[in-house]
Amino acid sequence: MNAMLSKLRRMDWIMFACMIALIVIGVVFINSAGSVRPVEALRNLWRVHANTAAVGLVVYMAFAFLDYRKLIDWAALPVFAVSCVMLVAVLFVGTNRFGGRRWLWFFQPSEVAKLAVILFAVHVFAAAGRSGFRWFLAGVAIMGGPALLVLAEPDLGTAIVLVPSVLVILLAARVWTKGIVIMLAAIMIVAGTFLWTVDHAERQTDPDRREQIYKYVPLRSHQIQRLRVFLFPDADRSGAGYSIRQVRISIGSGGKWGKGLKKGEQKLLGYLPPAVSMNDFIFAVLAEEWGFMGVLSMLALFLGILVPGLRIAAQCNDDRGRLVVIGILTLVFCHTYVNVAMSVGLVPITGIPLPFISAGRTFLIVLMAALGIVQSVAVHRDGPEPEDGDTAT
Amino acid sequence: MKVSIWFIASLGAVFLLGFFVLGSALFRLQCVDTGEFRADLQQQATRRIRVPGLRGRILDRNGEVLATCRPSHCIQCNVEEFQKRGAASNTVAAVEDAVVRLADAIGLKYPAELTRKRIERHIRQASAMPIVLWEDLDDATFARFAERSDEFPGFEDFTQAKRVYPHGQLAAHILGFTGRGRPDDADSAHFFEPDMRGRSGVESYYNRFLVGVTGERRVQVDARGFRPTKQREAMMEADLNSNLAPSAGLDLRLTIDANVQAVLESQLADVTGAGVVMDPRDGAVIALASAPAFNPNDCVPRISSETYATLTNAPAKRLQNRAISESYAPGSTFKPITAIASLACGWLPDDEYDCKGVYVLGNLRLHCWDRWGHGPISLRTALQKSCNTFFCNLGTAIGTNAVISAAREFGLGARTGIDLGGETAGVVPDNEWKRATYNERWYPGDTCQMSIGQGMLLVTPLQMAVVASALANGGKIFTPYLFARAEGQPRPEPVRTVQYPPDAIELVREGMRDVAERGTGRRILTRWEEPEDGAARRRRFNLKVTCAGKTGTAEIGAGATRRKNTWVIAFAPYENPTVAIAMIVERGESGGSTVAPRVHAVLAHMFGEVETSSSRTSGTALERAD
Repeated sequence: MNAMLSKLRRMDWIMFACMIALIVIGVVFINSAGSVRPVEALRNLWRVHANTAAVGLVVYMAFAFLDYRKLIDWAALPVFAVSCVMLVAVLFVGTNRFGGRRWLWFFQPSEVAKLAVILFAVHVFAAAGRSGFRWFLAGVAIMGGPALLVLAEPDLGTAIVLVPSVLVILLAARVWTKGIVIMLAAIMIVAGTFLWTVDHAERQTDPDRREQIYKYVPLRSHQIQRLRVFLFPDADRSGAGYSIRQVRISIGSGGKWGKGLKKGEQKLLGYLPPAVSMNDFIFAVLAEEWGFMGVLSMLALFLGILVPGLRIAAQCNDDRGRLVVIGILTLVFCHTYVNVAMSVGLVPITGIPLPFISAGRTFLIVLMAALGIVQSVAVHRDGPEPEDGDTAT
Repeated sequence: MKVSIWFIASLGAVFLLGFFVLGSALFRLQCVDTGEFRADLQQQATRRIRVPGLRGRILDRNGEVLATCRPSHCIQCNVEEFQKRGAASNTVAAVEDAVVRLADAIGLKYPAELTRKRIERHIRQASAMPIVLWEDLDDATFARFAERSDEFPGFEDFTQAKRVYPHGQLAAHILGFTGRGRPDDADSAHFFEPDMRGRSGVESYYNRFLVGVTGERRVQVDARGFRPTKQREAMMEADLNSNLAPSAGLDLRLTIDANVQAVLESQLADVTGAGVVMDPRDGAVIALASAPAFNPNDCVPRISSETYATLTNAPAKRLQNRAISESYAPGSTFKPITAIASLACGWLPDDEYDCKGVYVLGNLRLHCWDRWGHGPISLRTALQKSCNTFFCNLGTAIGTNAVISAAREFGLGARTGIDLGGETAGVVPDNEWKRATYNERWYPGDTCQMSIGQGMLLVTPLQMAVVASALANGGKIFTPYLFARAEGQPRPEPVRTVQYPPDAIELVREGMRDVAERGTGRRILTRWEEPEDGAARRRRFNLKVTCAGKTGTAEIGAGATRRKNTWVIAFAPYENPTVAIAMIVERGESGGSTVAPRVHAVLAHMFGEVETSSSRTSGTALERAD
């Protein structure tokens, strides 16, 4: 009992409070976005989010009390293996929704994979001496394998956030810094080439020539379209560029103070595509109804998770702890950044949820589990190695 | 330790930098450019609807209302309330079902023009607008709807202005009627509510005064172009308070006197013809009638094709305004013009011509109406007796050109310029005209015919009213007008004064007084009342004022189609005329017997009449003749 209390005391409560606040914001805005939908189930989706959060809270506490070292040492490999199996399975028996085969019964294996990959990467690279070119290749395989499986669903967004989380771990563990720098440069060159090619193709006046150029671009047509919309947001306002334009109008028209909860006209009048206003574009609803001040508060709450998280990492004297916290925080940051940045038009549109706020049961539970692990690092940072038994105080 | 504290710190820096980038982008969107985005939102979510202003009234000179608008109850269907998921046809079916149920419930017929196709087109093109189902409902039906409207969400009553002409047929040809039209600036908005637009008469001529200034209503629409449903609207806070209220059109005061108009119309009630009463001092039209007439109330809000066909059927052609758009041979009413022309050419008042009952020119034999001839006769007497041979001779004596230019001088052959549409110019024939029209040269006989107002000469009743008023006022030609000048504004100036010596005009005026007092047109001045018991002498009523006039009987056609169009032009009081009048009755007996009593009735209404004791029997022969 005493042990429990002292663990509770060592938890980071600011981080916890910020997480709860973000979940509450999520419930509020899922309710707001759902209130204009005619389907009963969608109007009540906020209850699902709240209930999921309740379950997530149990998971959170469980992971916080579970020694992260045990988890990484013993569970990382089986979890990684199972989630890879599920990623394969979902391609064959998964449920097809929103243009992708992403669901296995009630959950999305790709969301679980995000955490599994981080845990496994930490498991592999926390050990001493695991550096050099070969280990780097192993790292690429750890993130590349699941990433390719996720891409096959297709779910570009998840694939995109998997890469930086693992890269940060590789970088922090000094696996092969030179290689990572080269890889980052390569990614940037590839991305830049894609953008340049699309830009070049769009400037062609001859449509046949444009088609010819696109034949050599290894992207799906909807991905090319997203890049095109990103580069020329005003070119096709009623077609491909409609969504992003409406999202920007929602955010921009929100102004400094917003229009008030549930009073967003873009949402009420259905200009903000209702199909995505609860998940990937829920930020637009928040920005319209709460304005710049609300948006800043939300970003502050995220910092309220990230900054204490980094402090926990810094205070931890164990590479496993540091690596796992860094990986998880990077995951949260990338999700937040990419989601908001695509809404404001800084990056091309990618289907990626906003942590804690977007509707999505699997992702919420995975996130809470992940933050539970971060708390576990805070709780167990000074404790003895778990090999000593479970008697430590 | 592999993971350095510096790495953690720099990761924190990356996080902060990332959030800073997001924050600045959001600052730009939400604080700097927010106005632009609000404008974009306004633009895409707002539909502007042009709303017509209330159409102005039309009044007579005494303020009597001739045309106005009354509220009419209508029921509309707000399509957004019937939106169904899935295919558009689901929504169409929902609208149709609901209308059928409502029609049953309140005992109305399902609007025939509301086909599925029409509903579908409406939803596709004008989803922000309601569908108007029934217009101009009677009070009982409307009350039934109002009682049960709660049971039928999505239907709403509204009030529409409907044009109404309180006096029915009165002044129909002057007023005209309205149809449905686009407001003038409909193009500047997304949609418009239909406006009334004048289709004929002053409704058309002064349409731009009568129509109000259109206002603009703004409605918010959702992404599918529908207005928010009542339920959704309740969730929204801001309303668009930027509506522009329409303002009503101007009232149009006419120079018409409704009472005189009514008398004039009653005098033409049983015939086909036209009449114009004008003020010779400024050209104001006091009354203008064409018979048979129509009821403009049958033509609003829009004229149906059946009504239109009925009203334009020959020979009645009720829609035609014969006073301005039909031209007739003026007959003897033209003789004063020939007379003035001859006096200007040197014919002396005392010069006589011996009427032998027939005028022979080459192989043309032109009979005077008096078979035995009038004998030696001077101009003034010839006018009084309307001697044809005298004027044939006169025309031949002064020459074709003198007659033609006199006709033109008095405004014949050209539109008078009255503020009504559809005026015709008539014809003053000349050599070139005849060549172009009939490919024949001008014969001396044509001059003869023209001198007595026959042949190819064609005039409108309004032109003859202008001639009458020019004779009344000593030769001033006015543009007849219907739009009353505001009080205190100067009377309009004449267009010109005819270039003939005043004493020539004066002599002809005197001759015309003789006509009205004891000549062919004595029934202009006098009315005889048949005694009831048959024994007593006929009672005789004179106008309270002196008057002058000229009758005319123009023969047209030959054989079976031979008919007479009968005319009178007149003015009164003789000394200082305030009224000039021209009237034609198609297929009459003679000007003196058919038209003169009708003109008398109009003048009697305006000036009054008085019973006179002097007993003079009327010469039956004279009465029938011209």
